[in-house]
Amino acid sequence: MKLAKSEWVKLWTTRTTWTMLGIGLLLEALFAGLFTGLVSAGELDTMEEIATGTGLLMVLMLVLGVLVITTEFRHGTASSTFLASPKRYPVLLAKLGIALLVGTLAGLAFFVVNGGLAMPLFEGRTGRLPSAGDLAAVYSGVIVSFALLCAFGFGIGAIVRNQVGAIIAAIAFFFIVSSLPELLPGSIGEYFPAQALGALHGWEEGDGTLNQVGGGLVLAAWAAALTAIGTALICRRDVSD
Amino acid sequence: MPQLEVRNLVKRYGKTVAVDDLSFTVEPGRVTGFLGPNGSGKTTTMRALLGLLRPSAGDALVDGQPPVAMGDPLRTIGAALEATAFHPGRNGRNHLRSLAAAADIPRSRVEEVLEMVELSGAPAKRRVKGYSLGMRQRLALAAALLGEPRILILDEPANGLDPQGMRWLRDLLREQAAGGRTVLVSSHLLSEVSQTADDLVVIRDGKLVSQGSLAELTASARSMLRVRATNLDELAAALREAGAGVESEDGGALLVGGLDGERIGDLALGRGIAIHELAPQQASLEDRFFELMGDGESGGGGEGE
Repeated sequence: MKLAKSEWVKLWTTRTTWTMLGIGLLLEALFAGLFTGLVSAGELDTMEEIATGTGLLMVLMLVLGVLVITTEFRHGTASSTFLASPKRYPVLLAKLGIALLVGTLAGLAFFVVNGGLAMPLFEGRTGRLPSAGDLAAVYSGVIVSFALLCAFGFGIGAIVRNQVGAIIAAIAFFFIVSSLPELLPGSIGEYFPAQALGALHGWEEGDGTLNQVGGGLVLAAWAAALTAIGTALICRRDVSD
Repeated sequence: MPQLEVRNLVKRYGKTVAVDDLSFTVEPGRVTGFLGPNGSGKTTTMRALLGLLRPSAGDALVDGQPPVAMGDPLRTIGAALEATAFHPGRNGRNHLRSLAAAADIPRSRVEEVLEMVELSGAPAKRRVKGYSLGMRQRLALAAALLGEPRILILDEPANGLDPQGMRWLRDLLREQAAGGRTVLVSSHLLSEVSQTADDLVVIRDGKLVSQGSLAELTASARSMLRVRATNLDELAAALREAGAGVESEDGGALLVGGLDGERIGDLALGRGIAIHELAPQQASLEDRFFELMGDGESGGGGEGE
């Protein structure tokens, strides 16, 4: 708990976190408003349109997760962090917790912005609202996905350590490499992050067999595995910068 | 039991040996200067003592245990390693707050140490990006002092400090040692260390050159006798024959080591040489240091620092 508090202080005492979340939510509001406001009313029928604008935030979540660990190595603060806790795995657990928390909070902020803006527009133009069940499914999928994306980025960051390298690796692996198995026959692709994210969101038309919970579990397993590898590596490696 | 102990420590980076079978101990209640040229392995040794890197062989021990086993780390060891290791976008106070939170140290202590290092007020609110090197050093010291630790490990803390700051640092170290704390402070400058340290650990190329109290090291500096006489060449030959080390000094004098004044006088008398001057030449600590470091100091030791 002490370590989590320390990480919490670190997270909010640089401008990076505020800027990223601020810009992400602002653009989200813009996209959601424009899209729901401008697309022809007849096409406003799927949940996908409601969730417009998550794309950028998803990338930002991945990056934020990467930053939670890589800034320590980039600026050499890892030394003082591990002086306060020479046992390193508790620090990494605390950081993972903070990554999940900040992702969840960003998801909630998305819910507030999107719900507050896109919903009234949607209702105003179509004269109806999606069912409460659909809405709950979409928004909870988004919130959980944000948290898991942060954790996924964190795992990659812990393995790669180099900030720029880790950001590139996380984005490339998540959005490009891991979507390649979709092209393979069978359902292997469902067990890779990109398609699992689709299943977790649940609003996309997919031919997958995983439901939202299944998609969430696959994504969580990836995040957990990457974090475990990253933690093992950081516990072994020298901290000399 | 010594509070800090390095026992046959070896640290290799690939083929480079940064620390090579190094052993020494650091005692409480004294300031121990850790002296060696840049790249001699001081930082590597300190990082091993802090558990930041794992030895290739040997041990770095705190209270007889590996540093990872430390309970309540920030109250056991306070360390200032590099003046650059801050997030540039975080202000000084928040840097300390994040560390304090990790050890349940109250916020009032953060203000206290900021006050101690004279960074309270406006500087504490400024992002570290805008700090001078001296300010960064003081912030690093504040972080080291945060938990009122029993042991202080400071790597080149005087770098970038102005003369006033240096004096403040010296007083601080003396005060900490007087309070029974263990203080290990590295430097590549002898003059800096000799004003503060009680003990010295001198290393070169990752190997121990000498360990002892400052007084012992000064005393062990080889003392020579300066001799002027009527027939210097003949006297020099006779002295060498008797096993002395003899150097000619400009201006018609010899520097003789390894024989006392009595023997030199007797030898001269035996050859009918009149002695005009026979004076002891005490080598300074600095001479001793250069002697230990050998000639043609190149640094060596690779990427250890």
